[in-house]
Amino acid sequence: MANGQNVEVVAAPASRVRIRSAWLDRESFQGFVWIAPAFLYLAFFIAYPFFMSIYLSVSSARVGSPESHFVGLQNYQRLFADPTFWQTVRNSFVFTFGSELIRLVIGLPLAFALNRTFKGKRLVQGLILIPFVIPIALSSLAWKWMFDSLYSVINWMLMQVGLIDYPWQWLGEPGLAMWSVIIMNVWRGFPFSAVILLAALTAVPQEIIEAAKIDGAGPLRRFHYVVVPIIRPILFVGLLYSIVFSFTDFSAVWLLTQGGPYNTTHVFGTYAYNIGINAGDIGQGAAITLFIFPFLALIVIVMLRFLRRES
Amino acid sequence: MSGHRVWRRLRADYGPYLPLAPYLFVVLFPFYWMVITAFKRDSDLYNLTTAPFWFKEPPTLAHLKLLLEGTLFLTWLQNSLIIGILVVLITLALALPAAYALARMRFAGSQVMSTGMFLSYLIPPTLLFLPLSQLVRGLGFTDSIWALIVVYPSFTLPFCTWLLMGFVRTVPREIEESAQIDGCTRFQAFRMIILPVIVPGIITAGIFAFTLTYQEYIYALTFVSASANKTISYGVTTDLIRGDVFYWGSLMSGALIGALPVAIVYAFSLDHFIHGLTAGALK
Repeated sequence: MANGQNVEVVAAPASRVRIRSAWLDRESFQGFVWIAPAFLYLAFFIAYPFFMSIYLSVSSARVGSPESHFVGLQNYQRLFADPTFWQTVRNSFVFTFGSELIRLVIGLPLAFALNRTFKGKRLVQGLILIPFVIPIALSSLAWKWMFDSLYSVINWMLMQVGLIDYPWQWLGEPGLAMWSVIIMNVWRGFPFSAVILLAALTAVPQEIIEAAKIDGAGPLRRFHYVVVPIIRPILFVGLLYSIVFSFTDFSAVWLLTQGGPYNTTHVFGTYAYNIGINAGDIGQGAAITLFIFPFLALIVIVMLRFLRRES
Repeated sequence: MSGHRVWRRLRADYGPYLPLAPYLFVVLFPFYWMVITAFKRDSDLYNLTTAPFWFKEPPTLAHLKLLLEGTLFLTWLQNSLIIGILVVLITLALALPAAYALARMRFAGSQVMSTGMFLSYLIPPTLLFLPLSQLVRGLGFTDSIWALIVVYPSFTLPFCTWLLMGFVRTVPREIEESAQIDGCTRFQAFRMIILPVIVPGIITAGIFAFTLTYQEYIYALTFVSASANKTISYGVTTDLIRGDVFYWGSLMSGALIGALPVAIVYAFSLDHFIHGLTAGALK
């Protein structure tokens, strides 16, 4: 009797422990535990501020003043009536797609040039990627100096070879300033494009190329009919990343021109900073940044659909 | 030897390098220009009459001296390194378990969470800097490097989790399962079997977290204002422009030295770096 009771007393906690450990081991519970820290962090520092910016965009929030109240769509109405905002939208697209196009055009030959074996390939590849690695804030100083109104070394070179006959104001002339910003953005980003393209090219099996060669296909036809279909998915995803990267850029433009001259190089990021921080109008600034979102959403939808179809 | 044959020899010997030469020139010239500018005397720098590509007067260390003695350059460097290292540690501590769970466990909402991870990678600092400036002030980090330390993982974490998931998937499930049958808990199996195998992935993720952090600009510009709390790229680009005067020599020496830590990390981990770069786009 006493024995029996003892057994019961001992057995109950033991089985409870076993049940509990089995429960803890179950993936449905453990999965949450393992992912919880990252999930909570992202919820607090990405999801929450994202919704906060939606609220800010319909409020009268200002830097340094604690009071803000709901103002409806007033910030948006002011934006729509603001010619500089429309200029910013146009600039953002010119900057993004201009940079992207040029990156591809000059990145592709580079990828081909790197897609063979030669001595020192690793070194060359390492050097080519430097602009992408060095903080753009720091390398932009070199560009600002090379585009200087008086001491521009680029002007000096172009004038020596006779391409221009007077010093260009790279950062001071409306149309030219956008080109200058694009040039620097291309310089920074084409190594990335080239490396992605190279990774895609090395994924093309050599036998297929050889087979096409034997069948009498020239380099252009081989590229169009054999290489492109194989590298298309990688190219596509790499391109979209690169577009997002350019579209949401802040530092390259800010450091080179601060959006000037006459707002001709303002992109979403720089204009939002100018209004939200420099002018202190956080509500209006938040409304500007939110215009990035539909564009990003579109990219994400295209990307997810594409990835699903490929797999 | 005919000219034709000389050309053929040249092509055979240097063929692969010829198309690369213009690229290398464009890529490297700005850095060459930084070095030259950093060590030229002002009288040489602002001399418009002669070719600017080399020293006409003896080089000088005056710009470097101004940088080190006239600004808080070393403090900025220290800030950037402290922030970089702490952000790498926080990122890995959060990303490793998350990557393991997403790659290995099936649980309600795991699909949603992995999509969410991917989406948050695409929500850029440009979209979040205004509300985050209010958020960090609310947390009590007004004008402090801690504001940056707590916020920076928001862009390193999604990317590193994504990257590490790929590495976890390469470990065969069977090894882990046999360890669990032998009585290991999940955590022990993770620590003793997964972690040692994915060390290359951890290094790659660490390198990326560090370089992304070191490059960040808009958050630093928005959250911090005192010179002693600035990061390197923020400090160099603001404190050496006084009014209308650009201290070009010092700006260039600051940019060069400031770029060194990433350049060194990068030089020692080129293969990891390229792998991570392509993995980010390919997976």
